[in-house]
Amino acid sequence: MTAIEFLQGLSEMEIIGGLTVLSLLIGGIIMAAGIITAKIVKMVFFKYYAPTLPQDTAKNFGKIIYFGIIAITFFIFTSTQGIDFSGLLVAGGIFAVVIGFATQSVVSNLISGVFLMIEKPAKHGDTIQIPDMGISGTLLDISTFSSRIRKFDGTVIRIPNEKLFTSNIRSLTNSTIRRAEAMVGIAYKDDIENAISVIKNEIQLTMPFVLRIPEPEFRVEELGDSSVNIQVLVWHPRDDWSQVQPHLLTTIKRALDKSGIEIPFPQRVVWEAKD
Amino acid sequence: MSEENTKSNFSKYGLYTVNENLELTLPDTVIKFEKIGENAFSYFRQDSEGKIIEKMIPVKSNELKIELAPIRPLNHPARRTGYVFLKFDKEIYLSQNSAASIFVHCPIEIGIFLIHDSNRESLDWVTCNPLNSRFGLYGSPDTGTLCKYAEVSLATDFSDSIPYVECVMKIVIENNLESGKTVGKVIFPITDNSLYYEDSKSILDGIKVTLKKRAVVSIADVKTDVISTDWTTSPTWEASTSHTKMEMGLE
Repeated sequence: MTAIEFLQGLSEMEIIGGLTVLSLLIGGIIMAAGIITAKIVKMVFFKYYAPTLPQDTAKNFGKIIYFGIIAITFFIFTSTQGIDFSGLLVAGGIFAVVIGFATQSVVSNLISGVFLMIEKPAKHGDTIQIPDMGISGTLLDISTFSSRIRKFDGTVIRIPNEKLFTSNIRSLTNSTIRRAEAMVGIAYKDDIENAISVIKNEIQLTMPFVLRIPEPEFRVEELGDSSVNIQVLVWHPRDDWSQVQPHLLTTIKRALDKSGIEIPFPQRVVWEAKD
Repeated sequence: MSEENTKSNFSKYGLYTVNENLELTLPDTVIKFEKIGENAFSYFRQDSEGKIIEKMIPVKSNELKIELAPIRPLNHPARRTGYVFLKFDKEIYLSQNSAASIFVHCPIEIGIFLIHDSNRESLDWVTCNPLNSRFGLYGSPDTGTLCKYAEVSLATDFSDSIPYVECVMKIVIENNLESGKTVGKVIFPITDNSLYYEDSKSILDGIKVTLKKRAVVSIADVKTDVISTDWTTSPTWEASTSHTKMEMGLE
């Protein structure tokens, strides 16, 4: 039996609706070629073009290119082999409804992912906070179905796009500068103006990342049970939170200690009645 | 720091050749080079904040050539911007359609460069006045420009620079508006301005500020004004190490 006769035999072996074993074989070769082409194009894209694009965009473009080439290949396969899918349409319609219900959340995540990519509430590398979920960290990527955030403890959390899309997202890196805050209580006997002055001087001397303009702000927030509570607000470059916020209270305490200003413990005066 | 002390005690800007040991003294700062092998030198620096930096420098020849030069004040405490915000200690009033030239002090840092052939490689930098090296914002927190901020005094002329701490720059202010204006600060991208030095003094390219009307808004147009001088031009400090990517765990 020659190869031609063998192929002729395959072309006569019909599987379903005009689909023969030979056309299936040719289809397989076309699809394999398509997948290889898609992989090569994706690889070339990631090597030469992706580095110039934002990471999220590059990743999504890569997926569009890959699956786009495979889809085109599939259409070429069906059109060249004259495969008629009309018979499958009715069954496919029912199947689609079933699948639709079953994959509702998947589709929802997909659509949310698309809207997140269009709206861009945050981009790769931004430090964000999602107050509803109590999550803070660096946004690693927004992909088709989910987004990943690297929390400050080093762990990576995956959030379904639907949840992220419907949550409040607080961007911590969109502004040029950020504000750090601290609250300190001083004794009632101490002079408020003097306390503010010594804190301000110490901050200006020892905290180089604190901005001179806008100036540190001091607000007498409360006349508390045991102390006069002063809120200290300082601005710093947005990426230097770790150089300011964790050291602010230390600096304030050092300033007050140096000047002999008391930070009182909670205290209660008990009056004892006499007969 | 008096002028006398500066002249007598501190190292001057310029080129140095290290054969065995070299100690450079700047205000509250000590820099030492020491030969530790046939083709290797050590570098030690202690700055005014007590911070110590030590490095080893392998070299091809038996000697090491370095340059000590003033650089733009952008590195302390960290490089975050290319803009400088100078707030004058005295405001300048300009009546309508008038112009004035003033000299102001501007903070500097000091760069230590290695010389390879004719190339200058950035080795280290120091600031001798860290307390006047702070950030300030021009504009609103969300859209403003982050700047290096300094409160500066007016200078008499180019020779009035404060060695190792402040250079002198010339600012030409032109008021083309129909009313008098008070100028108390100036914000400009200092990356366009070159520094020049001689002995322990330094000067910076100037700027020309034009107050003018654009549509209904009054604006200040700032342009660099390159000066012509026979003083030595300072090399540009490049923070090359901050962009290096670590691979294979090599550090």
